[in-house]
Amino acid sequence: MCVGISLAWSELPTELIGRYGLERRAHERGGEREIRFLYRDRRPRLPIWRDGRLQIVRWGNGCLQSRFLPATGWTWKESLELGYWREIGAVPVDIPAMLGYDRGVWFRVRQGIRGILVPDERGVAVAYMICVPSTHYYQVMTRSPRMPLLIDEDI
Amino acid sequence: MNANGPATAIGHLDADCFYVSAERVRDEFLRGKPVGVLGNQGACVIAKSYEMKAHGVKTGEPIWDALVKCPDGIYIKRDFRWYEVLSRMMLEVVQNASRQVEYYSIDEFFFRAELRRGETFDGLARTIRDRIEECVGVPVTVGIARTRTLAKLISDASKPHGARAVLEPNREEELLAGLPVTEITGIAGRRAATLSSWGITTCLHLARADRTLVRRLLTASGEVLWWEINGDPVQPIHTRRPAHKTLSRGGSLGGATDDPMALYAWLVRNLERLIEELRYHGVAAGRLKVILAYKSGHTGLGQRTLAVPGDRFDVLIDVARPCLRQAWSKGQSATHMHLIAEDLAPRGQTALAFFDPLPNRIRGEDVDRLKERINGKIGRFALRSAATLYLPAIYRDTANEYDICDVRGKICF
Repeated sequence: MCVGISLAWSELPTELIGRYGLERRAHERGGEREIRFLYRDRRPRLPIWRDGRLQIVRWGNGCLQSRFLPATGWTWKESLELGYWREIGAVPVDIPAMLGYDRGVWFRVRQGIRGILVPDERGVAVAYMICVPSTHYYQVMTRSPRMPLLIDEDI
Repeated sequence: MNANGPATAIGHLDADCFYVSAERVRDEFLRGKPVGVLGNQGACVIAKSYEMKAHGVKTGEPIWDALVKCPDGIYIKRDFRWYEVLSRMMLEVVQNASRQVEYYSIDEFFFRAELRRGETFDGLARTIRDRIEECVGVPVTVGIARTRTLAKLISDASKPHGARAVLEPNREEELLAGLPVTEITGIAGRRAATLSSWGITTCLHLARADRTLVRRLLTASGEVLWWEINGDPVQPIHTRRPAHKTLSRGGSLGGATDDPMALYAWLVRNLERLIEELRYHGVAAGRLKVILAYKSGHTGLGQRTLAVPGDRFDVLIDVARPCLRQAWSKGQSATHMHLIAEDLAPRGQTALAFFDPLPNRIRGEDVDRLKERINGKIGRFALRSAATLYLPAIYRDTANEYDICDVRGKICF
């Protein structure tokens, strides 16, 4: 399961970095600063593109802030197709990511990851990452049975 | 000859961490970061950047070991199609600089280095290195010397991004004295141990050793190396690949398996790949070998001679099946499978046999032709044997469609 993503520092507007205190999530790899969004963070967040605007939103409901959203950060593509999320007003979004993180493996993501955005009972936007069963390659690489739904890319 | 020495020599060009460099050509983000390219269906690091190497990650290391050494490493799925594109571009640049070029491997070439007026070998090495970086974007190292073996030793010793010519005997000696004998391709393990017991541990020791002793210890192929490191070129540059004596296909099973049906599906997949290759080279297999490598470390071998050399699926699968049975150890988990076609005969020039009645032959060839046409149009493995239904994951993943051995024309394998 993809439990984190990373974005180059330069990919995020300074205003967003300041507003959400993202400096705390900064790391350096090969001389370049990047911002990591991990599900295990105390306040897990994800960047998303919605209507041409980059936003930082809550990642899933692992901390049980909502009583009616699923207590996870992921959803199967299949459950989307079955219409489960439509009833609660989910909209598709893109999660920008340069790298994904799954069971200790940082892997390159070329375009981004598909996700959904749903409002909780207080109207707060919550993002879920969409996953699909792992390809053989991804499963061997990460030993994970599920992988994120990547935008126009197969791993 | 020019005033300072010979006007021709042999050059060796080797790309620096080629697969990683190739990924960086199309992905700026990876520059300067620890990057590992994964092969073996995602299980092994088959190439690593110098940044990852600095953490102690080695080529061929399983990913789970590499993760411990380099948790910040970025891991990438190999893409041999892309690497071949860049490899051919590099080849073109070298061919523009030399009349004789050997496409030794996907990232390694030998070439005849010829001086133009006012040029030096050092300058030529630098020109080729810089031209490749400019045109292809891949950093390479170039070594020029009197022989192939010396040229390779020089480029290996000048990595990364070096360009150096060593043609004077005293400079050669200096170089050889500082290199262990295992730096020479073809000397490792048992051969190195044999030489060591005679006090031969550096390349210079080998160059100074008695030729007849070297021949006795390392056979004729060792003597070739002796001549070469003494500056006598005995290994020519092959501008065309010599005809294959054998063809093989296979590799990792992407995890250990003891399921006979999965093994059968792998057999069919590897056989279909082998037939593609037989057809490309216009040859038929006279003998077929199936080798299974088991997790326990032992290997199983099955082999059969064909009544008539063949390249048809229906004929070869009937031969491959008993070979697999012979190689199979019940209850043992296999990790790798290889199919080897031997005694290759030119296609269509083999005597027809009574065992292959005309209707069978016509049907078999029709099916193969149809399969070839459909796959040529829609994509590799679009139409394949139903036996491979036991390997759905392999065919869902496009990374399994193309392998390093599918790069044609190179000499190494």
